[in-house]
Amino acid sequence: MSVFKEKAGSVFRSLCVENWSPLMGGIVIAFFVILLEAWYRPWGIVGGLRNWGDWVFYLLGLYEDQPPHPLWFSSSVLNIGFLWGAFLSATLAREFSFRVPPGIEFVKAIVSGILMGIGSALAMGCNIGGMYMAINNLAANGLLMWIGLVIGVRFAVKYLYWEIEHLPAGGGFEINLSKINPLLALIAIVGLFLATRAYFGSEHDNGAILGGCLILTAGIGYAMHRSRLCIVNALREPFMSGEAAMARAVIVSLLLTTIGIAVLKAAGIRDEMAYVTPTFGLGALLGGIIFGFGMTVAGGCGSGSLWRVAEGQLKLWVVAIFFGLSNSLVRHLFSVYEIIYVNDEGELVSKWLGKSVFMPDYLGYAGTILLVAVFLLIWRILVDWNEETNRLVLEL
Amino acid sequence: MAVNLDEIKPDLTIDCKGLSCPMPLLKTKKAIQQLQSGQILEVLGTDPGSKNDIPGWCERAGHEFLGVKEDQGFMRFYVRKG
Repeated sequence: MSVFKEKAGSVFRSLCVENWSPLMGGIVIAFFVILLEAWYRPWGIVGGLRNWGDWVFYLLGLYEDQPPHPLWFSSSVLNIGFLWGAFLSATLAREFSFRVPPGIEFVKAIVSGILMGIGSALAMGCNIGGMYMAINNLAANGLLMWIGLVIGVRFAVKYLYWEIEHLPAGGGFEINLSKINPLLALIAIVGLFLATRAYFGSEHDNGAILGGCLILTAGIGYAMHRSRLCIVNALREPFMSGEAAMARAVIVSLLLTTIGIAVLKAAGIRDEMAYVTPTFGLGALLGGIIFGFGMTVAGGCGSGSLWRVAEGQLKLWVVAIFFGLSNSLVRHLFSVYEIIYVNDEGELVSKWLGKSVFMPDYLGYAGTILLVAVFLLIWRILVDWNEETNRLVLEL
Repeated sequence: MAVNLDEIKPDLTIDCKGLSCPMPLLKTKKAIQQLQSGQILEVLGTDPGSKNDIPGWCERAGHEFLGVKEDQGFMRFYVRKG
């Protein structure tokens, strides 16, 4: 074999087959997240799932107003792109197969999906829109949701320990599709190219914008699956094994995106109040606790559930469906009972969930970046210390 | 010393097929508690994440990861208790 062919093969393996390190994933994701926000809007997961849930309830006759079309609604397009990118990564590495878990896992999937829907309704975002993207959009509710998530995750680890003692389960299986994965990968690449071209070439006002959203979120999905970057893992492992590699990757990713998006907002490229939600209060804290518990039992957060959907984990299909449906219902009730409403000045407000706090209004941009950096530094020192001492690890 | 995975006789086998993160690793941690030092645990699994999780955990927890073998539609992971 020629050296060129050999090198081409090893480049393909390192980009498309072998796992990237979590740190590499965190950095590549940060790159695409900043580009997406510069291009059109902040990244998010639950808005798209809610749009799909809204359609289910609309078609069942429960909602009166027709929801926006999923192919022309940016939140939904973000998820389509994300799933597409993750599916491409899974099929290129021959990792796409249907994994059918034992029955109890389906019960856990339904319950945890519902909890994730409720938590993300209270926090007005999942761990992505409500925490990762809220912190890097300089919204105080993001930091509060982080605290809630950590509390919820810790309770959930206790539950999982209990379950493993009391509810032994086996009998899951896999429907192996690795043989047809290269064909699926080819279809995914060609399809992604054609879909992006169709958006850019369309007459629709938002065509080019949505085409950019599709291809950029495909980049996020690809990097996230290839590195198996998982925010549940980042928050859970310090309590379960002490392992902190994933937490370190998320911390770096948060630091990079915070600086990048602060530049976009300070330069006036993106509205300062983008992703600053009226949840700095009960909403982010309680929502974080409920979501954190749910995502740990589910085995995937907002984004982590979706990339596992794209590699064929049927448990996470059930999680994503119930997550979207319950979020849709709770947010519908919130608007019916005016828990969240638009005031006379056109701002989104809530009496119960909390205030909208854009941190630079209080601390300035430099002060806010410094605050986030100090928070990340403390988080980093804590997980490193715990990795060495196992002081936070709960014994099985 | 390289171990021939085809000749391993596990002392305990657990079935994690179809399960997703973190259940395969949790069940592995639970099962290894039942073994004596030097005994071998076999884990049957289908989650691609286990290819990172199980060797990584072995290193941290002081067990020896002997390797992984592809079977029909699942993987067999071998761990020697440290």
